[in-house]
Amino acid sequence: MDIRLTATSFLMPGNGAWRSLGDAHGLDFGAFGDWPHVLSDPSLQAAVAWVVFLDDVADPEASDGADLDALLASVLGPLDARIDRASQQPMIVAWASPASSSVIEAARTPSASRRLASRFETALYERAQHAPALHVIPLDQVFAKSGRDRCFDSRNYYAAHCRLSVAGLGSLAGALGEVLHRLTAPARKVLVLDCDNTLWGGVVGEDGVGGLTLGQDGTGSAYVDFQRAIRRLAGRGTVLALASKNEEADVWSVFDSHPGMALKRQDIAAWRINWSEKSDNIAALAEELGIGLDSMAFWDDNPIERETVRTAMPQVHVFDCPKHVIDWPKALLECADFARFEVTAEDRRKTALYKARAEFVTELTGRTDRVSFLRSIQLRPEALAIEPASLARATQLCAKTNQFNLRAARHSATDLTEIARTDGAIALLARLSDRFGDHGIVGLAIARPTSDPAVAFLDTFLLSCRVLGRHLEAWMLDACVRPLRERGVRFLAGEFIPRERNAMAAGFLGEHGFAALDALSAGDRDQVATAIGGLAHGGKLYVADLKTLDIPHLEIYSDEKVAA
Amino acid sequence: MKKSLPELLREVFPKAQFDAADPKLGVESFPEWDSLGHFNFMLQVEEHFGVQFTVEEMSELKALPEIKAALASRGVAA
Repeated sequence: MDIRLTATSFLMPGNGAWRSLGDAHGLDFGAFGDWPHVLSDPSLQAAVAWVVFLDDVADPEASDGADLDALLASVLGPLDARIDRASQQPMIVAWASPASSSVIEAARTPSASRRLASRFETALYERAQHAPALHVIPLDQVFAKSGRDRCFDSRNYYAAHCRLSVAGLGSLAGALGEVLHRLTAPARKVLVLDCDNTLWGGVVGEDGVGGLTLGQDGTGSAYVDFQRAIRRLAGRGTVLALASKNEEADVWSVFDSHPGMALKRQDIAAWRINWSEKSDNIAALAEELGIGLDSMAFWDDNPIERETVRTAMPQVHVFDCPKHVIDWPKALLECADFARFEVTAEDRRKTALYKARAEFVTELTGRTDRVSFLRSIQLRPEALAIEPASLARATQLCAKTNQFNLRAARHSATDLTEIARTDGAIALLARLSDRFGDHGIVGLAIARPTSDPAVAFLDTFLLSCRVLGRHLEAWMLDACVRPLRERGVRFLAGEFIPRERNAMAAGFLGEHGFAALDALSAGDRDQVATAIGGLAHGGKLYVADLKTLDIPHLEIYSDEKVAA
Repeated sequence: MKKSLPELLREVFPKAQFDAADPKLGVESFPEWDSLGHFNFMLQVEEHFGVQFTVEEMSELKALPEIKAALASRGVAA
């Protein structure tokens, strides 16, 4: 049979791999990238094989959600044109999924690559139902054969009921290791990038913007793909920063004027472009972003810079990047450092949020009249209930908030749902926006009922670091206390449990009208102690008398209604 | 550089007490070398010498001289 092949990327016609197929059938490869034209060409009277690599036609992160329908319609349009002409000639669609990322990203929900692939697959088989000439070859399945052959072992199965080869056991153990690692260690938050010979080939100060290797065929497009991989991480909540030994203006001129740049200036949350030591610059970036060194990772092509940073700050993960840039995109996407189980709306806007924090800190530092400054920045807090749409964010706040967190109770999604449903419980998420931007959902407060209807217990009180300095914690406390008062609750008990990194929250209760439990009159003390009996976990106990409680700093929010 | 069978035994059973010079070492020579330990040892031998034993050999080759002979029959000196 004569067959016209057409593909979304090059198929190497003439390669020996095609020989036996070519001996049996007439192969015509046409021109590179001619698939839209070939599929919609009404005069073509031949069998057609369309080879689709989804990596060529879609970015799984960018095309998630509603855009996906439009994207699929445009990719499948030419095929539909051929189906509509009711061609009797066989049509074969051989397709492959986008490159996969860390197994962690598929642990709680299907990964973005998987979702895209599964929509594409469904669309193909829907068409196959009505188009008898359409045949589908899932290349994932074909290529997986090499992997399965390596990982499954029939000898081990018949000799010992073990389905796997040693290599298969190793892969299984490795995947378990990645998921278990993320259960115990949070994802890193910031990727610090070098510029010259990392984001592009060449040195901008010597070669000039026009002399860089970026975007051209060959290595130039590998740098673009590396930048795309970085953007993909940013889209999933990794904050990007630059640490480059350069003239700052040179670096920005590449960002602003080089047509090959996939990364844009607004993708970068913070930068240190100067001639200082990179370790000093990384420390300064950590300070500016309010992030610990153990949440940072560093990518630099220069092994000497890497070694210096590694020695100076062992908490920072320094990538041993592969020797050649062509291997970088895959290495970055597959690394487990940044992979998260779930990506929330907050994660997708991380860079903007951290940028806003840096600007706020800079302005606040310059002011002596802090109250009038805070009143002038249009703070708009909002209390939200824990419901299905906000549950993932509430769970994430419980898991990841280490610093401003009174008890660091790591509630699971199931726990939180149950708490929110409990009669008499107050559970609220705080959302904040101000002149510096929409900070999203940044706080969680939970007050639980106790065995005594006059006593409530502050089970959870936490606030994301990026909005500290605005006294939002006072507003959150007030939002909790109001409904408690309405229900006739007299005492709100609180507990501070010292953890590794929450020292900054130690003074909160005392500074907001709570007294130490021991300071109460004997009768009140016994009443509260009995009521909260099993709820406290050995931390320092405080109590607020809601009859007399006067929360400070509320004047900052006095123009705002509590929207609970 | 290919390792000797006793060296591979040491890798699979790092804490076991045995006399590496004993040419007759085999399954049950020490407590760790039980049937599961034997399977893992045989997998290590396969990987190291790049050979594959049959289902039967996995259970029947119980001592170093037998394993040596099976390797020799595949042209591998151990």
